[in-house]
Amino acid sequence: MLSFTPYENPMYFGILGLGLLPIVIGILCGKRFHWYETLISVFFLILTFGGPKLTQGFALIAYLIYEVLLVWCYTKYRKKNNNTGVFVSAVILAIIPLVIVKLTPAIQNGKQSIIGFLGISYLTFKAVQTIMESRDGVLKAFNPWFFLQFLVFFPTISSGPIDRYRRFKRDYDRVPKQGKYLQLLQKGLHNIFKGFIYKYMLAYVFGTMLLPKLEHQALMAHGLSWSLVGVMYVYSMYLFFDFAGYSLFAVGTSYFMGIETPMNFNSPFKSRNIKDFWNRWHMTLSFWFRDYIYMRLVFFFMKHKVFKSPKTTANVTYILNMTIMGFWHGVTWYYVTYGILHGAALVVNDWWLRYKKSHRGQIPHNKFTEVFATFITFNFVCFTFLLFSGFLNKMIMMK
Amino acid sequence: MAKKLFLIFGPVVFAALLLFALLFSPFKLNHITAKTENKAALALSPNVLKGQVIKESALSHEKFVPFFGSSEFSRFDFSHPSVLATKYNRSYTPFLMGAPGTQSLTHYFQMQLITSQMKNRKAVFVISPQWFVKKGARKDAFGFYYSPLQSTTWLLDRKQNNATDRYAAQRLLDMPSGNANHTIMMALRRVAKGQKITHQQRTYLIYEQRLLQHEDQLFSALKIKNNQRKIDRLTKQLPEHYQLHELNQLAVKQGEKHTTNNRFGIDNRFYARRLRSKEKKFKNFEQNWTYTQSPEFSDFELVLDQFAASDTNVEFIIPPVNEKWSKYTGLSTKMLKQFDQKIRYQLTSQGFTNICDLSDKGDVPYFMQDTIHLGWRGWLAADQAIDPFLTQKQTTPTYHMNNKFYSKEWQNQLKVNN
Repeated sequence: MLSFTPYENPMYFGILGLGLLPIVIGILCGKRFHWYETLISVFFLILTFGGPKLTQGFALIAYLIYEVLLVWCYTKYRKKNNNTGVFVSAVILAIIPLVIVKLTPAIQNGKQSIIGFLGISYLTFKAVQTIMESRDGVLKAFNPWFFLQFLVFFPTISSGPIDRYRRFKRDYDRVPKQGKYLQLLQKGLHNIFKGFIYKYMLAYVFGTMLLPKLEHQALMAHGLSWSLVGVMYVYSMYLFFDFAGYSLFAVGTSYFMGIETPMNFNSPFKSRNIKDFWNRWHMTLSFWFRDYIYMRLVFFFMKHKVFKSPKTTANVTYILNMTIMGFWHGVTWYYVTYGILHGAALVVNDWWLRYKKSHRGQIPHNKFTEVFATFITFNFVCFTFLLFSGFLNKMIMMK
Repeated sequence: MAKKLFLIFGPVVFAALLLFALLFSPFKLNHITAKTENKAALALSPNVLKGQVIKESALSHEKFVPFFGSSEFSRFDFSHPSVLATKYNRSYTPFLMGAPGTQSLTHYFQMQLITSQMKNRKAVFVISPQWFVKKGARKDAFGFYYSPLQSTTWLLDRKQNNATDRYAAQRLLDMPSGNANHTIMMALRRVAKGQKITHQQRTYLIYEQRLLQHEDQLFSALKIKNNQRKIDRLTKQLPEHYQLHELNQLAVKQGEKHTTNNRFGIDNRFYARRLRSKEKKFKNFEQNWTYTQSPEFSDFELVLDQFAASDTNVEFIIPPVNEKWSKYTGLSTKMLKQFDQKIRYQLTSQGFTNICDLSDKGDVPYFMQDTIHLGWRGWLAADQAIDPFLTQKQTTPTYHMNNKFYSKEWQNQLKVNN
């Protein structure tokens, strides 16, 4: 049976193009066929999770039933009551499958959990966000059938970008005007072709042509070497072009369906500081962490007056927030260290910006310092990506 | 709206149509120049070996002669066949096909792309005893030199289904490469069972073949290693006129000069890089190795069958192993002798009688460049067979092939009764 990883080859794009055709014609005529959208979603889910990956398919179905029921129950409960304990339990229950999937390889020597499937993280983010917005009272009209559509929206199912319930609903319910939709089609096509350049040309050059050679040399050198420096930069470029390329496909495909899925990357290597970086790199993930972890923790600490100064509150929360993100990537020392390092960098960054503000006039600010700041940020980020790649771990294991 | 839509999608549709036309058209997309052919003959690049267009183009000229083998071709020194042929303006130019890891099965499938160029021609084939290990051809090495163009072409060329076809299909299915493409795998399964491929499979394979041929035509010539300078440098070491005695002295002198850091007569650089630090580990390490029982014997039969089918006249070269080294590693002399007898039987009993058997020359000083590869005097000895074979008229051989060489019994048979 045919089976694909999303956006993996020309054939997938061919099938995608044919599948999208009725939707495009429909919207151009001012109509949305929701039944067809559902049908095509199911079709692509079968292509992704069927055949040799059927166990993943079953895991996905079980997961969906579980999450939809859970969120549905919570929203029903929330209409009448608002107990914090219930809310916390609902969030914990929502993330339990993800926690099991992430912990299993750490406990069972790298073995993958049977309840896991490609994209479980991204579905969990959507579910948790829906629970939190219900708790806040901003999400009032919950519809389980729509929620299911939101979860399995096929262009973004495997790796995001992470959309929001209410934003998605606005697009889903509306048929874009012809002029506006033509613009979307143009942008969508542009994104997909940019994605081709990113993922199939640049990521190929960095990841397939250069990286293996450099990794081999670096392993042979046993320890610090120029090749290792090469691995650091080349891996960083590969990571960016691969993921950004994928995100462009997902966003482009969404546009064709009249859904304006948010962008995931905005020239991240141009960032002047690390905070700027997280506003440009994997944006939907970092905004999710900002809104649903960072802000929540800050409010919690302030409400309970855990720390005296707001600065300390912010600093502790930065570290916690990024460490959690590290754990989310996987329970290994290098992912967690990656998170902690970024947390620490955010603390240092805040301190520096405050210091600079209070010493205005003494610290120069000009074109050169801006370029220098970008240079430092870029190198720091590349260094953390080297950690993230797990290559250092491989080098240590070799010894 | 229509205009706007055309502006958005027009270029994409146009580009897609153009690409389709380009990739699936039955036309040849490029021209291989004489320069490329000469470079490719020395390159030993996997993309040349895997592909079709460059080999086909070069071998369409009488002067290029295919030299099949493996890693020995990359050991360039002054007596290497390509150097001798260049220096003494011989009527032939070796087209080297072989690299570390190319064995009989790789050669059988890569030959499928040049069958018409091999028709009634001569060839040289260097047999490595080291291919004939218990497990046979390594799957990853085979995969490295395999291209689906080989199997599509092979499948489309099957006229009637015989024992050779069934064995070859089964061997390809044993490799991950044979299972990578669904249709090719299903077609191979049919051939292995003695059936013909289906009509749909044939249609699919025809288009797949065109696509792969175009890929080969467009990209193979882009990455060819240039070894011409090496050859030019080496030709300068040779005397103006070919005189065996003088060349032999030169070989001894060169050998002496290059084997000073070890007691095995192994090239200094090879020894320093590959053996010195691990020398101790090799002591008696190869005691139980055997080259007499291997599926490689049947894979080799495929190659012979192909030579017979295209009436190719072949000079086979059987190199020795470095005796000083093999004594140290404990490789059995008796086993090597048995291997030699077995492979010679397989060759001669089917009518392949041009054999340059050097297997007893392992003790000749400076014959080998390292542990298993022909060196200064070794190549010179091989040249005594290669040059007359290629430059003089040979009687047309008659082959009588025997399917027993595809059997497990033959693969595992230790002794032959001549």
